[in-house]
Amino acid sequence: MSYKIPMGPYHPALEEPYKLDLICEGETVTDAKLHIGFNFRGIEHLAETRNYIQVIALMERVCGICSNIHTLTLCSAMEKLTGLTPPPRAQYIRVIVAELERLHSHVLWAGIAAKLMGFKTMFMTCFEIREKAMDVLQAISGNRVNYSMNRIGGVNRDIEDPQSIVAMVDALEREMVKTIIPIFTTSTTARSRCAGIGVLTHAKAVSCGVVGPVARASGVGQDLRKEAPYAAYGEMEFEVPVQPDGDVRARLLVRALEIMESCKILRQALTKLPPGELASGGDGSKFSFTTGTATARVEAPRGEVMYSVSWKEGSRNPSRVHVRTPTFVNMPSVRYMVQGARLADTPLIQASIDPCYSCTDR
Amino acid sequence: MNPAIEPSETIADTLSAGEPLNEPWVERGGVLWFEGPRMNVREVAHAMNAVGARFITLTAYQMPGNEGLRLEYHWDLAGRLLGFNFPLAGNSIESIYDICEAVDWIERETHEGFNIEFTGREYEPLLLREGNVCGVNLREEVAK
Repeated sequence: MSYKIPMGPYHPALEEPYKLDLICEGETVTDAKLHIGFNFRGIEHLAETRNYIQVIALMERVCGICSNIHTLTLCSAMEKLTGLTPPPRAQYIRVIVAELERLHSHVLWAGIAAKLMGFKTMFMTCFEIREKAMDVLQAISGNRVNYSMNRIGGVNRDIEDPQSIVAMVDALEREMVKTIIPIFTTSTTARSRCAGIGVLTHAKAVSCGVVGPVARASGVGQDLRKEAPYAAYGEMEFEVPVQPDGDVRARLLVRALEIMESCKILRQALTKLPPGELASGGDGSKFSFTTGTATARVEAPRGEVMYSVSWKEGSRNPSRVHVRTPTFVNMPSVRYMVQGARLADTPLIQASIDPCYSCTDR
Repeated sequence: MNPAIEPSETIADTLSAGEPLNEPWVERGGVLWFEGPRMNVREVAHAMNAVGARFITLTAYQMPGNEGLRLEYHWDLAGRLLGFNFPLAGNSIESIYDICEAVDWIERETHEGFNIEFTGREYEPLLLREGNVCGVNLREEVAK
């Protein structure tokens, strides 16, 4: 006999406002229905009531983890409408902050995944390392969550002592190599909870149009930093980790390898940081927009973020801002990941896409 | 447009891998817009599937005054952002959900926010809860 288990919208496994109706046969999940929108904020509509300075602060609050990515994408789109190009130093600083944010996001996810595996010691270790990443971001921006680094035409703050950040990145990488990656890849606990669980096949990943580490863990080798480089990514050497298995372990491995690649990018960007101005476009208080729509895409920690921004010449407010976040496209694929899974594995499977409901309920 | 030529072939012929795109593609605001013969959205979706493009999103625009609504569809092809523009005569357009699974949530969200009917598919509420009226132009409601 089949029965339905409603999981959420507020449940102890993941403190996120969404609901999963699980259809089960015994302990096996046969299908699932997802429900979102419990905290929908109408930010896109709200953005139309904000001027070009205020809208940056507003969109930084779409997400509490990848806040910098949202302003980077928004500013990139607005730069196309103002005709401004950020100077080289600003492009490098954008890369540095984006990669630090990726480190922070991936380590945070590793901690949460460890907790859901019942591996609480690892959770504490990950969060200790995450604190170090946040310390670096705080040292650069003065903030731990909303960094306020991006403005139209460049960045707001400089990195005055890049070598001190290199030392922090080295320490972070050592810790990853010494502790987190070996434990996640070799421990029996991690392997038994992750291998062969929550599989998303390559074909289904393509069909659902999933992005970021979820796509790369199903053998889809897409990454905008390589395919459509923005900021200074075109000048960086790095690999895009891809795993073929499509299970929770593959998603874990992709993120672990991406942490190493982020360290590689950070070291290059910090070492080669060019001198010069932080922004173009005067003091940053007045901008002229042309009429039209501009679109920008950025590879966020969870995958591709896209902003379409529409403006009318002479207006201080955008006439439309549309945000396509990675979780919005990754989340529907959870339905396929949980089909055939054990009920007890569903929290970890859901967490393995690194869902962000703040982004989804934007 | 020559009726013997499939629309998907028309688009595929213009998309040479790794080479800059010329007419009928026009670069504007970071997007390569298709400005060739007018096609319906299902023809475009078939063409994008045929060339292996990845659906990204669709964006609805409420035009000023009585100009109605406009939809922009975006696909990615090896890092190139392709755009297709569809002004809506009324408030409906054919759904492409059966051709492109990735469009599911954004069609449902757009239906709930702009009262655009994606014909040929069934809806389940996405953002709205039971008891809410599904299919209302929320911008117009807020303006009231």
